[in-house]
Amino acid sequence: MSQPTPILSLQGVHKYFKAGRKTIRVLQDVSLEVAEGEIVCLVGESGCGKTTTGKIIAGLAAPTAGKVFFEGRDVSQLRGEDFRAYRRAVQIVHQDPYASLNPTQTLYRMLSFPLFRHRLVRNGAQARARVLELLQLVDLTPPEDFIDKFPHQLSGGQRQRVSIARALTVNPRLIVADEPVSMVDVSIRVSLLNTLSDLQRRLRLTFVFITHDLAVARYFAWEGRIAVMYLGRIVEIGSAPEVTAQPQHPYTRALITSLPEPDPELTRHKERLSLRSEDIPSLLRIPSGCAFHPRCPWHVPKVCDVTLPELAPTEGRSLAACHVTAQTSRHLEALSAQKA
Amino acid sequence: MSHQPVLSIQNLNVEYTARRGKVKAVRDVSFDVFPGETVAVIGESGCGKTTLALALVRLLPRSAKIAGGKVLFQGGNYSTPIDVLRLNQSQLRAFRWRNCAMVFQSALNALNPVLKVSAQVQETARAHGEHDAKQIEERALWLFQQVRLDPRRVYNAYPHELSGGMRQRVLLALGLLLDPQVVILDEPTTALDVLTQRTIIEVLKRLRDEMGFALIFISHDLSMAAELAHRIVTMYAGKVVEIGQVNEVFYRPKHPYTLGLMRAVPNLSGGRAELVSIQGSPPDLIDPPRGCPFAPRCSYAQPICHEQPPPLEMRATDHASACHFWDRLPVLRESSEASSREVNP
Repeated sequence: MSQPTPILSLQGVHKYFKAGRKTIRVLQDVSLEVAEGEIVCLVGESGCGKTTTGKIIAGLAAPTAGKVFFEGRDVSQLRGEDFRAYRRAVQIVHQDPYASLNPTQTLYRMLSFPLFRHRLVRNGAQARARVLELLQLVDLTPPEDFIDKFPHQLSGGQRQRVSIARALTVNPRLIVADEPVSMVDVSIRVSLLNTLSDLQRRLRLTFVFITHDLAVARYFAWEGRIAVMYLGRIVEIGSAPEVTAQPQHPYTRALITSLPEPDPELTRHKERLSLRSEDIPSLLRIPSGCAFHPRCPWHVPKVCDVTLPELAPTEGRSLAACHVTAQTSRHLEALSAQKA
Repeated sequence: MSHQPVLSIQNLNVEYTARRGKVKAVRDVSFDVFPGETVAVIGESGCGKTTLALALVRLLPRSAKIAGGKVLFQGGNYSTPIDVLRLNQSQLRAFRWRNCAMVFQSALNALNPVLKVSAQVQETARAHGEHDAKQIEERALWLFQQVRLDPRRVYNAYPHELSGGMRQRVLLALGLLLDPQVVILDEPTTALDVLTQRTIIEVLKRLRDEMGFALIFISHDLSMAAELAHRIVTMYAGKVVEIGQVNEVFYRPKHPYTLGLMRAVPNLSGGRAELVSIQGSPPDLIDPPRGCPFAPRCSYAQPICHEQPPPLEMRATDHASACHFWDRLPVLRESSEASSREVNP
């Protein structure tokens, strides 16, 4: 990337948790740069560290090692007003709209509180006007009908819109959205995604979008990037269309070929990449070398189980951390192309 | 497929009693399930699909009442159809599990955390009249093998020692313990990871082909339905609005709601499809609209739709829909050579 300064940069971030005498290595050496206005999707299965990464970006958790830079400044060094400004600039939207909204507060109270807290408004009239504007922004229209409602009077999709509006109260620059559509029904999922895309364009927001659903990631990050995570590391990163059409890492390929698609002929004739083992290893016993090697169908003994592959350029434009994609597959494809 | 349905649902109505009145959760639902067939019931939360499943095995909560209809079962030890809704408690106990097993949605909660898997297997078998412990154990171990679990280890494990995907497979094996003719799965893969979901799908496909049970699965996931089902039943506001052979329904939908669902699901291949959500929200089932329940959200709706409920009628071979303007819907894909007859999921 040759952009000036990225709005966000993670450098060698590790996060360990202690469980009794054991150490759980949730994130290992995660480096990521996000440009202003960009959409980056973190994709992976449960336990891959995508939510922890999101929390670290939003300042809700501190890395065990490594650094987080926001607009070029080391977040861990920020104090006082500088730290508050960073916390305002990065907001998070949580997964479960049933758990993340206070059931005893009306939307007005919920959304006006941060406005007063951060002195963005002076009086009730200003607050009300701003809350109406926010509701309008997230398509809860007409806003006058919603402003005095309680969360229980809203559907799941509407609640999630309130969560988004709440994140927008303090004029953030970057939004971490943690599985924002996984709890809402299929028919309204798309309208939520479209609202988010709209906001991203209109307000020039930067998005770190966390999801387990590659199809959702591909749709939302069509012009952005997808980072695939496995057991605490980024194993592949590249533009969304590229990662989904030509996955380089065998894990990404396994994910993509495993997913059923909403087309009977297509999904029944899809070629699958089957794994050597069904089960995800425990974070307490992360396999040596490439953590994916016990499940990987391309596994090369004495290489993959010994040496950790680094994120490296592949024949596509994405980066992948795999010894095999780096060599053999390219070689084989070249051979088959010659024969054809 | 034989022509005698193994399960025939006829004009089923289920109501819940609520403070404001009766919630008509399942309204006049009728369809047949044939031996060996997989039927996917799709729809959004609140469309009545789980209530329907619970009614088929009579596991509805007390607040629910079956307000009419029949559920005829024929197969196994019953050579003539019996009405499941008329069975007494002891007949019902014999019917459940032996003829019709249900695998629940929350694999994480459905197993008793303080009992070993082995105890739960034996208890289930005893409750349904199987007393030969040795034979049951052998059967369970064989089934665990079939669902790609390490049989001995899992048999002697407590549920907390197993991952979510493993527990879901234990439940599936448990459901097949007494070789039922019908298996009902409620959202079999929600909350499971992609690769675990794939394992379950593959296991299901193989087992149903080998063991020959009919499968009814309840899901909001269109992709799962596309992959597994022979036939699709779309439910909306407690009613069946479309039913047909899987390719027919996916490529030539005849109800705007099914079409709407398809247009709302992102895919992984091809260009970036323009996706559209369905506007509005489902109707109140205490006082359902007079006409078509989908009319307020439907872009094809005309005045007649708000007045007269469209009947569920055949619109093509083996393909029924309840829409006045079904013939105005676009064809999403022309029939290919591998036409509707020969799907091999």
